[in-house]
Amino acid sequence: MAMPVAAMSRLAWRNLWRNYRRTVIMLLAIALGVWAMIFMTALMRGMVDDMVQQGIVALPGHVQVHAEAYRDDPSITHSLPAPGKAMLEVLESRQVIAWSSRIKVPAMISSEYENRGISLLGIDPEGELALGFDPDDIVAGQFLTDAGDGGVVIGRKLAERLETRLGKRVVVMSQDPGNTIADRGFRIVGIFKAELENREETIVYAGRDVVQAMLRVGNDVSEIAVLGHDYRTPEKLAADLGDAAAGFEVLSWLELDPYLSTMMKVMDGFVLVWMVVIFLALSFGLVNTLMMAIFERVREIGLMRALGMRPSAIVYEILVESLMLLALGLLLGNVLAVSTIIPLKSGIDVSVVAEGMEMMGASSMLYPVLQWPDVLLANAVVIVLGILTSLLPAWRASQYRPVEALARN
Amino acid sequence: MSAIVCTDLCKFYQQGDAVIKGLDHVSLEIEEGSFICISGPSGSGKTTLLNAIGGLDSLDSGQIAINGERVDLLGKAELADLRLHSIGFVFQAYNLIPVLSARENVEFVMQVQGVRAAERKLQSMKILQEVGLEGMEDRRPAQLSGGQQQRVAVARAIVSQPKLVLADEPTANLDSQSMEKLMAHFRELNEAHKVTFLIATHDQRVMAWADRRIYMEDGRVTRDELQ
Amino acid sequence: MTTKRQRDSAFGLSLRLAWRNIWRQKRRTWLTALAMVFSNVLLVFMISLQLGSYDMMINTTLRMFSGQVQVQRVGYQDEQKMRQDIAGVGELASTIRSRFPAASVAARANAFVLLSSEDRSFGTQVVGVEPDFEAGVSTIPGLVADGRFLQDPGAAEIVIGGVMARNLKVAVGDELTFLGSGKDGSFAAGVLTVVGIFNSGSSDLDRSLAEVPLGYFQDAFAMGGSGHIIAISTAELGGIADLMESLRAIIAGGDELVALDWEALTPGLKQAIQADFTSAWFMYAVLIILVAFSVLNTQLMSVLERTREFGVIMALGIKPRRLALLVLLETFLMALIGLVIGVLLGAVVAGYFGFAGFAYPGMDELAAKFNMPSVIYPSVGPVSLMLGPTVVFIFCLFAAIYPAVKLYGLKPVEAMRAV
Repeated sequence: MAMPVAAMSRLAWRNLWRNYRRTVIMLLAIALGVWAMIFMTALMRGMVDDMVQQGIVALPGHVQVHAEAYRDDPSITHSLPAPGKAMLEVLESRQVIAWSSRIKVPAMISSEYENRGISLLGIDPEGELALGFDPDDIVAGQFLTDAGDGGVVIGRKLAERLETRLGKRVVVMSQDPGNTIADRGFRIVGIFKAELENREETIVYAGRDVVQAMLRVGNDVSEIAVLGHDYRTPEKLAADLGDAAAGFEVLSWLELDPYLSTMMKVMDGFVLVWMVVIFLALSFGLVNTLMMAIFERVREIGLMRALGMRPSAIVYEILVESLMLLALGLLLGNVLAVSTIIPLKSGIDVSVVAEGMEMMGASSMLYPVLQWPDVLLANAVVIVLGILTSLLPAWRASQYRPVEALARN
Repeated sequence: MSAIVCTDLCKFYQQGDAVIKGLDHVSLEIEEGSFICISGPSGSGKTTLLNAIGGLDSLDSGQIAINGERVDLLGKAELADLRLHSIGFVFQAYNLIPVLSARENVEFVMQVQGVRAAERKLQSMKILQEVGLEGMEDRRPAQLSGGQQQRVAVARAIVSQPKLVLADEPTANLDSQSMEKLMAHFRELNEAHKVTFLIATHDQRVMAWADRRIYMEDGRVTRDELQ
Repeated sequence: MTTKRQRDSAFGLSLRLAWRNIWRQKRRTWLTALAMVFSNVLLVFMISLQLGSYDMMINTTLRMFSGQVQVQRVGYQDEQKMRQDIAGVGELASTIRSRFPAASVAARANAFVLLSSEDRSFGTQVVGVEPDFEAGVSTIPGLVADGRFLQDPGAAEIVIGGVMARNLKVAVGDELTFLGSGKDGSFAAGVLTVVGIFNSGSSDLDRSLAEVPLGYFQDAFAMGGSGHIIAISTAELGGIADLMESLRAIIAGGDELVALDWEALTPGLKQAIQADFTSAWFMYAVLIILVAFSVLNTQLMSVLERTREFGVIMALGIKPRRLALLVLLETFLMALIGLVIGVLLGAVVAGYFGFAGFAYPGMDELAAKFNMPSVIYPSVGPVSLMLGPTVVFIFCLFAAIYPAVKLYGLKPVEAMRAV
């Protein structure tokens, strides 16, 4: 015969506050633990999210189509023709936000003073902007106007290295499919900045039509970059494109950038490990608190047993007490976490270690990202492990023999 | 028919080097509806006997049957149910749950039984009035005197009208007027509802109410007289 | 006046009393100590792991190519312009070499060129190196898997990375042409024979590093006797500070030269380590504070339940200060148990992985980004063993202050009446 929940809860609630100091300390500990679980997870998620989003802008797109051999040997000889009817059908479908075909080949750029090895991108500016190039990143001049634009847009750092500037001419050299050196003079029409210095140094944008003419490849391109709706689930889009682009290699960013996709997976594991570690640190205090609470009431527990409460009901009462403690701590911790994350939504400046963050592929602003599944996970970890941890003290309490318990002082 | 049959009960305690004989081959038959007082010096085994019958304490040997059911063979949960539904306890020390008010303490057993709130309130208010605690229903045990606490414990034991009441010194801490009132109430329950009472006591005035008196010493029954 | 002996025996008594007191509640003491042990073991392991991985990051980065210290022209590190050169680089390198017999010293020069095979062309960096000395500052010469490293300082030969060789579709014995500009802006071009192909495991280097003899480089790029970098490595890690000091003296007369240590050469690496260490400490702090809460709770309860006892003791004439010290002493002993067991256990765990290596799923891909092997060997040393546990110890003592201070407000008569 179980006691009604209301009565049990009342008993547990009053017992909880008998030693308010102990309960308050434990509550603070739980709240701090929960806060740390959620807050730190939000920071880590923010960092990885930022890395992934930057990675996708740099890639660009969620899915890319290449000639089979291109990724191993990114030469102009491994190119693909403009998309055919089957592919266009997918590219123009609702699951695609934007797509663009681009040429991307290794090249060399020379000013009158310096040479540098670069990646020459032959792009359609409209498509590039749709794929995520931010026009605000242009710090001087302007972005290319169309695919036939005869200028180049280079990175800020590269301009420094080449000792050149807006309006000056540079020579870009690469090879055509016959391995004849193909070169062309370009005027610098724009200079862009990027979060990652490496991009500023190695990426050069030119008009696609101009690059195609320079390399003598007709309408062929190196890759087709496709932006879907959600970067977390590029698989369907990749599969559809794969069906339509038989003979070519269609890969999602998860495969194109194994560092980032692994980072995301590892982070999932790490979040769980982190939460469990924090809980374990809490669990010693939790068991201690419950044990103390039980020791103080051995007599009472014996009495309740003598009055006809089953051992299982004693377990139940202690668990309700523990659950209340956990729930209160969770409430406090969740509120604390949310109210510290929201004011930081605009970012935490970590530019002191900007170059270090860049090495990891992250930018110097850290944006905490509050994901509800993480909050749920933190709460679930605390409740589930908390109840499991409380089982031992609760079971011990139920095992006191009534007479001995009553005889105890 | 006998309500309670105790056969050859033995319970020994080790205390330092000495062995204390709590129950030393005690056999006893108790009729349903009897009103029995057990008397004897401290340590004579009164409390041990009550605890054994209530299934609070295990025996070294011997059998106890209540209405033909072997109490000594029951598991913990079954014993708990037996106590919950059939036995009322009054302990030597008042033993109230400190976080519950007087009325909540009285209602505790009914609550575990699953009695509805309105019914509980009716019963508990009535019984508290009967033991003279009207107006003190919402006080916590710490706010009550020893005698008042004792009366709450008695009220708790009889409120759900058990078939058997085991009372260990129920009148300690009561003045004689309260004592007489309490015993009269016990007697009334006994006569009206055939509730069996087993009362351990030192008090001669309490003994006077009994219709059977059992005297114990060193764990043995030394005298057993019917009135 | 109390004598020293009296004070000693009083302390001995306090110590004995404290020791017995903490064992009055065995389970509680063990649970509290276990909380400390748990976080200590974790901290020892994590810090050893971090220090181990930093060592590896620094070592692989520095030993592979850059060297521990470099001498450069001021500004070259940032701008890398061809004319920011060191005149007479070979002679300067010789001077440094003779001053530090224990160190390896090698001169280098850098240029960007378009490198073409029959089928392919790539813009890449070409490094002129001294064939006789390069192996002392870089592991690349030892990693030549196919063919041999450079030998003749003036030969038209080139050693390239495995990925580059594949991209250029060349093998040992094939020819490559390069196109670039010399220091004076003149046209620089030539034909080179591939004599060796290396596989370093770092995709960056395998894709983009090409080495030619320094003498040939200086002729081809109109460098005269100059170069850009003198790379220096020494086996003795502790010697770097002295080395830097003496280097500064040697180059002080030269034209605006600087000596850069690894922190300056790879600021990203240093900051990555800083960022990692700082963020890790943020996490450790949470762990440590949680343990401190545990101690606070235990000691507060232990003080509260002994109120009556303390009242009696105070009635006997013992001052609250003594009782407060007793409580602190109890905490000290409890924390000491946590420290000793935690450090021992942590050393065992970290030591085991230091021997067997530690890896987690997905580490391959992540480690590749930093040119690191995919197994980390935790570095077990005094710092990694004691740093975390010491902080835990100190915080636990802090946590006992509140319970100890509570004793000051205690009035003997009231205390004795307490339950």
